[in-house]
Amino acid sequence: NNSSQLSSLPLQILLYVNGIYYIFYFLATLAMIIYKSQVFSYPDDFLAPDLAVLFLMAILEVPRLYLGFKGNLTEAEAPLGLSLGLTVGSVVLCVYLLLWQTYVLWADVLLNAVLLAAYGLESGLKVTAIAAFVS
Amino acid sequence: PADARDAVQARVRSAPAPVTDVAKLCVCDLLVAQCDANCCCDPDCSAEDFSLFTSCSVPVVTGDSQLCSQKAAVYSLDVEANPPERIFKLIDQVNPSIFCIHATNYKQALYLKSPEIPTPENFDQLLAKFGGATFSAEPDTWNLDTDAQNPPEANETYRYEYGAPVQTEDAFLRLPSPVVSSWCSDANPAGFLVNQATKCIRSVSVEKCDSIQALSMLFYINSSILAVSCVFQVNITVQSIIFQSLNGTRTLLNGSDVLRLPMVLDELCINAVLRVNYHITHTDTGEIIEAAAAFVLGAISKEALSIEQSFEISFTQENAQPVPLSGNPGYAVGLPVRAGFWPQGYPFPAAFLFAALALSSNKHSQLTILQSTSNQDCLAAQGARAPVLFGYNMISGCKLRITAAMKCQPLAQTLLDVLKGQSFPEYVASFGNSQAQDVLDWVPITQLHISEQMISNTLQSSCQIPVSLGIEVKWTKYGSLVNPQARIVNVTATVTTTTLKQLPSGRERIIPITSSVVFTDISSPAEPGYKAWPTINIKLPFDFFYPFV
Repeated sequence: NNSSQLSSLPLQILLYVNGIYYIFYFLATLAMIIYKSQVFSYPDDFLAPDLAVLFLMAILEVPRLYLGFKGNLTEAEAPLGLSLGLTVGSVVLCVYLLLWQTYVLWADVLLNAVLLAAYGLESGLKVTAIAAFVS
Repeated sequence: PADARDAVQARVRSAPAPVTDVAKLCVCDLLVAQCDANCCCDPDCSAEDFSLFTSCSVPVVTGDSQLCSQKAAVYSLDVEANPPERIFKLIDQVNPSIFCIHATNYKQALYLKSPEIPTPENFDQLLAKFGGATFSAEPDTWNLDTDAQNPPEANETYRYEYGAPVQTEDAFLRLPSPVVSSWCSDANPAGFLVNQATKCIRSVSVEKCDSIQALSMLFYINSSILAVSCVFQVNITVQSIIFQSLNGTRTLLNGSDVLRLPMVLDELCINAVLRVNYHITHTDTGEIIEAAAAFVLGAISKEALSIEQSFEISFTQENAQPVPLSGNPGYAVGLPVRAGFWPQGYPFPAAFLFAALALSSNKHSQLTILQSTSNQDCLAAQGARAPVLFGYNMISGCKLRITAAMKCQPLAQTLLDVLKGQSFPEYVASFGNSQAQDVLDWVPITQLHISEQMISNTLQSSCQIPVSLGIEVKWTKYGSLVNPQARIVNVTATVTTTTLKQLPSGRERIIPITSSVVFTDISSPAEPGYKAWPTINIKLPFDFFYPFV
């Protein structure tokens, strides 16, 4: 790492890959919810919260990734900190979809585990980057 | 005491918990405390019973196979061992699919819901929810207003539909019919537009005949029919009354507005109802406007313990003259062949108008054939005829006893009447629904006369008597290959005559007289037909090239 450039390259790569992976994750989870509602007994009272959580997560993801990119590239710690906060929210929603969804299929477990791992790694890299920017 | 009662109620309120442990679940264990044959999971079976089994009817007991990993109980018989013994294994079954259910947070997902036990507290709400004809499939959503229930009285405010019971002011219009046995049951309602004819046996006793309700006319015309709603009612009028005496002769009563009630007279019960024919007239919107009943009243003798009653109901639309069709459009097997006359002396179109009237009102303008009776004498069995049903080949006959005293010419005429019937039709309908106005839909009957002794040179002037009538109906399949309709193409009536030889006096001879109907299928093989390609017809308007042409 050059001393003149504080932006973290691994974080940038991870954010970029996260964005692509999230699109795939969103479409796959939505398709599986539709499949579950056709194959299993899925009353509306249980379908609504699951769909709400998924869409909320999608809405949170966009500013989170944008703030992460911006913060890392402009070497500003405020957007990066805000992105870290949004990441906490996304982690909570991801844990809901992993554990407390109405039907948790094996494919759900895989997708959510990968996403959680990505979030965890991202959070670590963001903390390191903030520490680098502040100091 | 109250707490014991509460405890009992608490126990009753919940249904027994469902068994979910696969080791304890056994589907083939049907007999209580006895060993079921070939049921390897039955806990009532001992080792000796297992040694007699040939195979396991239930080899595996698992839960929902969509779970990723679940317990399964596997039962098998080890036939190599001596004696054979049952092997029970509890294994973990893994579903390799990536869409297997890893976990579920919805309790009812994999189990059937335990129904609520009715108690005095929740009975009304359960009745509101499930008491109607339909109820919602979603278990958690229901509403208390009674839109699911449709009380049957509401139907009559709109109109009658096919099959709906005809309502009267107190109950339904009854058409007594045999239910399980041949005894009459008065609980059969007449369905709207359902023409029915029923026969049943009712037990009677002559002493109490004026108190048996079902023998009196009043029972059948007492309550008035509801036309559509509670307000408008139609009284059942008496159309005609026919008296039937004990030996079967029937006389029509003039002036049918008098009610005849059963009474005991000279050890007979007279005015007992033997037959009721209801005729209901309705509009095309499902309202009943008229109802009439025709009765046959008879006498019951003292020895009779039961009588047979027959009932019929028919519906006709107002301002319509129904002609029973024998198929639509092709003939249906088993329905009578329709036939008619063309009255002479009328101009062409009007002729068939009259024929229409003749066909609709006169049931005897059918094609009929002599009906064999138990008394096989041709001259005694006058008038018994059977309708010719499409597709059914029939043969019937009788025996003619010729004595020396019989004159030939009247005998020939009588035999022709016996064979052909009183009014032998001239035209037969080509289709089952042919209308009388359509001239081309009617096929003329070709009459042939064949003499049996054409070869020998007996003079034609010697008397010939008809001995057989053969009707040959040629029909073809018409229309599409998938749904062919039967169409009558040709009808030939062949009368075969033979010479009547003079018998020496005192001798008599018996000649068989036969009549037959044969249906022959002369359909040509099906040809494939292709739809014509659509053609484009473009025509320019005539003033298209206006300035130039």
